[in-house]
Amino acid sequence: METKTGSALVIGAGISGIRSALDLAEMNYRVFLIDKSPHIGGILSQLDYQFPTDHCGMCKMLPTIGRDASSQFCLRKGLFHENIEVLPGTEMTALEGEPGNFRVTLDSAPSFIDAQKCIGCGRCSAVCPVEVPDQFNGGLTKRKAVYLPVPHNIPNRFMIDIAACTRCAECEKVCPTGAIDLRTEARRAFRILVVDDELVVRDSLKEWLVVEGFSVDMAASGAEAIDLFSSNDYGLVLLDVKMPGMDGVEALQIIREIKPDLPVLMMTAYATVETAVQAMKIGADDYLMKPFDIEALVAKVVQQYERTVTVKGRVIEVGAVIMAAGSDFCDPARTPGAFGYNLPNVVTGLQFERLLSGAGPGAGKLIRPSDGRPLRKIAFLQCIGSRDLKQKADYCSSVCCMFSIKEALLAKAKSGGEADAAIFYMDMRTFGKDFQRYRDLAEKESGVRFIRSRVHTIDPDADGSLRLHYVDGEGGQHEEVFDMVVLAAGQRPNRGTRDLAQSAGIELNPAGFCLTDELFQNRSSREGVFAGGSFAGLRDISESVIQAGSASLGASKLIRSKGGAPRASERTGAALQDVSKELPSLAVALCACASSLRGGLDLESFGKSLTLWDPSIRVFQIERVCTLSGRKSLLENMRESGCNMISIGACMPCLYGKMLVELAKETGLSAGLMDVVDIYTPAFRGDRTDPRQISGRIESALKMSIGRLKSADPGPTRSLSIIRKALVIGGGISGMTAALAIADHGFHVDMIEKDVDPGGLVRSLYRTIEGTETSGLIEKLISDVRANTNISVHTEAEVVDSKPYEGLSFLTTIKTKDGGEKRLDHGVTILATGGKEATTREYCYGMSESVITLHELEAHLGKSAGAAEPPGSVAMIQCVGSREEGRNYCSRVCCSSALKNALRLKKENPKADLFIFYRDIMTYGFLEAYYTKARQEGIIFIRYSPEAKPDVSIADGGKVRISARDPILGRDIVLEPDLLVLSTGVVPNDLNGLGQVFGFEVNEDGFFREAEYKWQPVNSKKRGIFACGLAHSPRSISEAIAMAQAAAQRALVMLNREEIEAGAVVARVRRSLCSLCERCIAACPYGARSRSEEKDIIEIDELACQGCGACAAVCPNSASVVRGFSDRQVMAMVDAALELT
Amino acid sequence: MADYEPAIIAFVCNWCTYTAADLAGTSRLVQPPNVRMIRMMCTGMVDPKYIIKALLEGADAVLVSGCHPGDCHYINGNLKARRRMKLLKEILPKFGFDERRLKMTWIGASEGIDFAETVRQMTAEVKALGQNDLRTRMVL
Repeated sequence: METKTGSALVIGAGISGIRSALDLAEMNYRVFLIDKSPHIGGILSQLDYQFPTDHCGMCKMLPTIGRDASSQFCLRKGLFHENIEVLPGTEMTALEGEPGNFRVTLDSAPSFIDAQKCIGCGRCSAVCPVEVPDQFNGGLTKRKAVYLPVPHNIPNRFMIDIAACTRCAECEKVCPTGAIDLRTEARRAFRILVVDDELVVRDSLKEWLVVEGFSVDMAASGAEAIDLFSSNDYGLVLLDVKMPGMDGVEALQIIREIKPDLPVLMMTAYATVETAVQAMKIGADDYLMKPFDIEALVAKVVQQYERTVTVKGRVIEVGAVIMAAGSDFCDPARTPGAFGYNLPNVVTGLQFERLLSGAGPGAGKLIRPSDGRPLRKIAFLQCIGSRDLKQKADYCSSVCCMFSIKEALLAKAKSGGEADAAIFYMDMRTFGKDFQRYRDLAEKESGVRFIRSRVHTIDPDADGSLRLHYVDGEGGQHEEVFDMVVLAAGQRPNRGTRDLAQSAGIELNPAGFCLTDELFQNRSSREGVFAGGSFAGLRDISESVIQAGSASLGASKLIRSKGGAPRASERTGAALQDVSKELPSLAVALCACASSLRGGLDLESFGKSLTLWDPSIRVFQIERVCTLSGRKSLLENMRESGCNMISIGACMPCLYGKMLVELAKETGLSAGLMDVVDIYTPAFRGDRTDPRQISGRIESALKMSIGRLKSADPGPTRSLSIIRKALVIGGGISGMTAALAIADHGFHVDMIEKDVDPGGLVRSLYRTIEGTETSGLIEKLISDVRANTNISVHTEAEVVDSKPYEGLSFLTTIKTKDGGEKRLDHGVTILATGGKEATTREYCYGMSESVITLHELEAHLGKSAGAAEPPGSVAMIQCVGSREEGRNYCSRVCCSSALKNALRLKKENPKADLFIFYRDIMTYGFLEAYYTKARQEGIIFIRYSPEAKPDVSIADGGKVRISARDPILGRDIVLEPDLLVLSTGVVPNDLNGLGQVFGFEVNEDGFFREAEYKWQPVNSKKRGIFACGLAHSPRSISEAIAMAQAAAQRALVMLNREEIEAGAVVARVRRSLCSLCERCIAACPYGARSRSEEKDIIEIDELACQGCGACAAVCPNSASVVRGFSDRQVMAMVDAALELT
Repeated sequence: MADYEPAIIAFVCNWCTYTAADLAGTSRLVQPPNVRMIRMMCTGMVDPKYIIKALLEGADAVLVSGCHPGDCHYINGNLKARRRMKLLKEILPKFGFDERRLKMTWIGASEGIDFAETVRQMTAEVKALGQNDLRTRMVL
């Protein structure tokens, strides 16, 4: 059994799982990252393009601080981090023990291909006769039974889909490394007993199962079965329920007495299904219905068989568990109505995404799969399987609106603007940061059509086109013909979530997602088990990344509180030998794999020609460098040769990241002095290619690597440190949550609040939509903050100035309440400056006491709580001043707040008339249920468009009069409510001043501009500055808390280490050549360069520098140099590259 | 001269095009043999002098390929490269090179097919242009 302190298990290696795993790994905890699928990346491995750039940016999740600990290549290829053990094809089957001290049992799926031996040559796939739909392409293409799960994964090992495999064993025969073992013997050894009184059933079962490779015995009665049973060893029994004499249930009881663990499947006709269910209670494992569905039957038998071959019972000990098992999409094929999904050219959003993908079925060309015609008219249908009570999906999937707009824009882009894209929707839910502008641009600039409607029928039209019949918002009937229909299939819990929840001992909510705490959504129902990403509910990428950060913060805090310490950081830099004074002594190791792959490749002659080229080079051959023995032999050879740099000719260089780090530790040689060259892929050129060209290519690649190494800068990397204290600006819910999170990790926090007391905007909200009073949360946070000795609270204080301090830290001056100034030193800064309700002059606000804002109503409801007489009629107008130019964003919280207040008013006075004027109701996620409830309670929703807003006037005596058009009635209406409530939306507190002081950016709406909307939502581009809460974007209380935790987590990554190792690839300045022109300062995207006035030199912040080389390219004197990519190195590569052509 | 194999130097960014090239390789897409890839962290670090050097040493063409606009791992390095390459194309004739010998593209991580196609197409174009005659001449 393995034991480790300070470790965590992350279940699910999608985006959230990767984020959580990296978070904890960056804090130097040991992380196990498991996923039941054979690869990492989750759903994102199928999505090439993401809103809002409409491209990809996954790699931006990789660490920016201490980045050499992790892989530095596209995350689609895979992930490596020295603190993470990635276990694909693995599931958790048991979780025992206490928080801080869990024992987890992991089972791995049986593998028929030895990953250590598979070299990914693809010969097996070429000979495989079986073709099945490829799920990676949404079933649009076919793949073989032996296949690559994801084309771009690295290492890319072939897998066998054993359910589809016919065990013809052709692949076994052609595998050059003997990696495939179908274990036909094991199948034959798996004996199945079929018990049925009907001969025809027994015979056909035997026939099917023998084809599958199993051994089958038959018995005609219960008694015969028991007889056979006593003298044979069976792996599985298929038992008929209804037999003359001893029936199935009786036989089962006897079998259970003899062999309690033996799997038994009952076979039953529809009439006796009750009995079969009864049998399951006394120990049958499952039942099969007659007449048999062969595929389902075989699948169930295979499942039982696989249980016997699953690699069971690896037990690990971890302090905390993060559940990030993600979510799935609903399958329109299984939904009633089907939305035309049975028709050709009706696809799901995911399938359309695959059609757009360069690695997809159409190679990125926008063509119709049915006839290969270019797609020119595409309809997108929203809310398929979401917001649908009939399907028990009373929730909004939160992601589909943006997903469809993105796909529509991609279709436009791919077709050069020729394709017509129309989105058929109910409410366009653009509730996130910058969503509304994205939608507006899609409509106005790209010409995407937005049609508010319900599509009721899809008919096939001529040549595979589709005729849509729909009703618009005013009740008008229309029809239109499209080339293709794309269904925005809603989210569902992942298959297997129920089993997973059971093994983890956590509860699920009624929709089948993880049940979380209302306010602290990273908490599941079991202490120590945290919920990340969309496992915790319906979330897009950005929110999933935030939720993942919040989950890892929870995990880290728990691990720490139970005594789990981060692993002592090993400074690889210190242990490395300094070879800068030595002469370069170069060795080349060639992996023999490539030559075994291709007979014509003569490694001997490579070696000879390399030594001819440069006699000082030593060349040796290694048998399979990537294996443990290969590495050992490499190490021996390196020691023997006494080389101080090595070029390794093997396969994919990125496979070797981990090995190079380990080699560096073992040899004391910096990983920057080792290089891996792919000599393997060129060996694969089709057989037509001239072998001489292949050798030329490989030799050239090796010489390029040698050239690069010879001019490498062998110096060690630098170790840096920051002041391990934090400054939190703002004392609202976000600020206090962030401060507590950091203080609980043992670091000092200064929290600045401009008001007399902390609490912030939440003080003006009295209840959440679920009905929880917010005062409890505020009081708890304030008392926790006051009680925490690591937090100094500065009330009525504000930031005056901040300067760089001790190299990489900040020295911030604040004005305190007594008018004095105080200086605070800190290494990280968290902005939690919050926001406020926007002011308005629209709709006669200020002209009558009967026109109030949402917060004024909240205050009224919060204070009066049943005291004053409730109003008899109330109208509310949403989107006052929002979602139109000037403030073109959705404030996210107003719709749910309006529903909350309306439902409360209705509760206080059931006779009250309530009217809500809206543009789109933004009840994303589970909030949708409140919208449904509000409609059920008789609250009337009247839609208006920004072109025809309701007209409000004040009559004599202050009475409000609203004239508007009701699109459903199709006529003008006049309302005279007692009260008119305006949802004016949220604006951020002014950040411009702080932006100038700290050097972060503010967006056009005055919110904090994050480094990257999706992948780095809480980071500033400037190192050490993070933001959360309303300073970032409008959000609810629970979302603000999650974001504060995510921001604190990012800050803790920096605080948690005494010393931070700078990256190996960073920029340097050769001072003697520098003319101080400062062009590099302007070019640096990270603000990592500055001119030191006193020393009169350009200084580099090596923590901020990411090694992009923008500075080196602009430097007119070549004074700016990026390590590993110096001019000399690149020129040497160019030289070597052209030498042999 | 028509049937020569052009030598192409490709400066590819570590994040996007390098991945695409790997994907082209693992997908066994046949590519012309004389493309030499130089992996840079970002196209924004490709100094024009590297390109001029490659052409002076006889490369028949140079490809610079990075992430799509908006995708750059380093925020905007690819855009810097685009500006730089545009200017470089303007001065290349002064060095005696046809500006078509330099090409800049965006190829994302999953666009292995695009990568193979770009290289194939470029090879055909350069074949039509003829060999870089510096390869056969001695330059002092």
